[in-house]
Amino acid sequence: MQEDTMWGNVFKKQAKEVESIYTVLHRIPVFQDLNKKQLRAIERILHRRYYKEGEVLFSEGDPGVGMYIIEEGRVNITLGKEKKLLAVLSNGEFFGEIALLSESPRTATVTAAVPSKILGFFQSDLFGLMETNPRMGNHILYRIAQMVSERLRFSTIENQQLKAKLNQLEAQLEAKKGK
Amino acid sequence: MELTIGRFLRLIVGLFIIFLAGWLVYTLSRIITVLIISALIAYILDPVASYLEARGLSRMTATVIIFLCFFIIVGLAFWFLSPVFFSEINNLQTEIGDGGNTDYVAAIESFIQEHVGFIDTRQLDLSTKLNDMFANLAEQLFAIAANLLSTLTFVVIVPFAVFFLLKDGRSMKKSFISFLPNRYFEMALNVLHKIDNQLGGYLRGQFTEAFVVGMLSVTALWILDVRYFTVIGLFAGLANLIPYIGPVAGAIPALLVTIIDGGGTTELLYILIAFAIVQLIDNIVLQPMVMSRSVNLHPLIIVFAVLIGGQFFGILGMLLAVPTAGILKVTSSELINGIRKFNLV
Repeated sequence: MQEDTMWGNVFKKQAKEVESIYTVLHRIPVFQDLNKKQLRAIERILHRRYYKEGEVLFSEGDPGVGMYIIEEGRVNITLGKEKKLLAVLSNGEFFGEIALLSESPRTATVTAAVPSKILGFFQSDLFGLMETNPRMGNHILYRIAQMVSERLRFSTIENQQLKAKLNQLEAQLEAKKGK
Repeated sequence: MELTIGRFLRLIVGLFIIFLAGWLVYTLSRIITVLIISALIAYILDPVASYLEARGLSRMTATVIIFLCFFIIVGLAFWFLSPVFFSEINNLQTEIGDGGNTDYVAAIESFIQEHVGFIDTRQLDLSTKLNDMFANLAEQLFAIAANLLSTLTFVVIVPFAVFFLLKDGRSMKKSFISFLPNRYFEMALNVLHKIDNQLGGYLRGQFTEAFVVGMLSVTALWILDVRYFTVIGLFAGLANLIPYIGPVAGAIPALLVTIIDGGGTTELLYILIAFAIVQLIDNIVLQPMVMSRSVNLHPLIIVFAVLIGGQFFGILGMLLAVPTAGILKVTSSELINGIRKFNLV
């Protein structure tokens, strides 16, 4: 019947749309531990914004207030006045998650490369969640803490490697001077 | 600076907008009062709803539970206190209406003559002044209960508005933010969060303090056997919302009633001591607990805010002037901070 097909299509379209948002959210490490019901609650909290091509999401030096998830589209991450391209992120990727914990200035500028649909999750949303749903807030905080510790570990390793290299170069310099 | 036609036109449009906004505020003052009161109540109750939500209830259930508890408490208070309260208001009105205040004036005049001999009471013309004052006071008192916000408005619209503001406040805030352009959205979110952080403690503190001071004053005046102890005590609590002036304004009606009832210096001293103790408890115990004075308003701002509140919204406006000034101060300073930080100008 025609009506059935019509309604069937409407529901199928909606279900597909909803599913895609949840799939996107579930891929984000910050929300990885959440079940479908909790993801639905997160979806209600998120701010959906639409950006035109070339529109700036945030600029280097702005206070960081939260993270962004690309639901659809592509963004360029650039550095400095010369706009040195650091990375290009697209569907399902995210950035700015550390700003959920501290209000330190943004380290790069993010610009929409094409018309994009972006989801924003901010410090105030996280604090609200910790107040109204501590269990979910804890899951998210734990994930952020894990990511931060992972980055710290990498930084430490990198730091050690750089130090070793520096020592090596210093030794080489000393040896050259000795000759 | 060159005064071009464009600038002049912009100035005219700007002035027109300010005038229009002022006219709108004045015309819609009743609705604005209802909205401010509802928003304040919803804002004060918000942490309770959040607490219940954290215990696993939905926002809707949490709001319904808060409302049930609120109605039970208000119902019980009404059941026990309303006979005393309304009979006191009635007595006050009848006595003022009957011109019974000539006796009171005589009592006050004899008190002044007895204790402050150098003042010539005939020159004071207390009778006329008091008549005017009481007429205004009665008018204002009843304006709160009957004229300004009709009982129906208060009983139906305020709870209705509070219910939806409490239940849907968060989604309303989200919808408001969704209308903002991308350029201002992060800043707005950040500024709203900061305002909430600062104002939450301040407003909840102010009203908790007013409630406790009101209850303490009612108890103290009841112990001292002062007539109209509920009305005066509750007024003292509300007056406590106004720093500096409030505590004094709260004590004056009690002193006046005692003088009128022929009370001597000892009774007046007891009342002053009682109010001093209530203020001491407020300053030493309550204020550090609720941090309600955290939004530091300049005394001059307080005085003008109270005057402006009184001019536009009567006694209720005077009482709500200081919290409103606090809201405006925090909002404007955070907005300026946000605009600076996000380099929007």
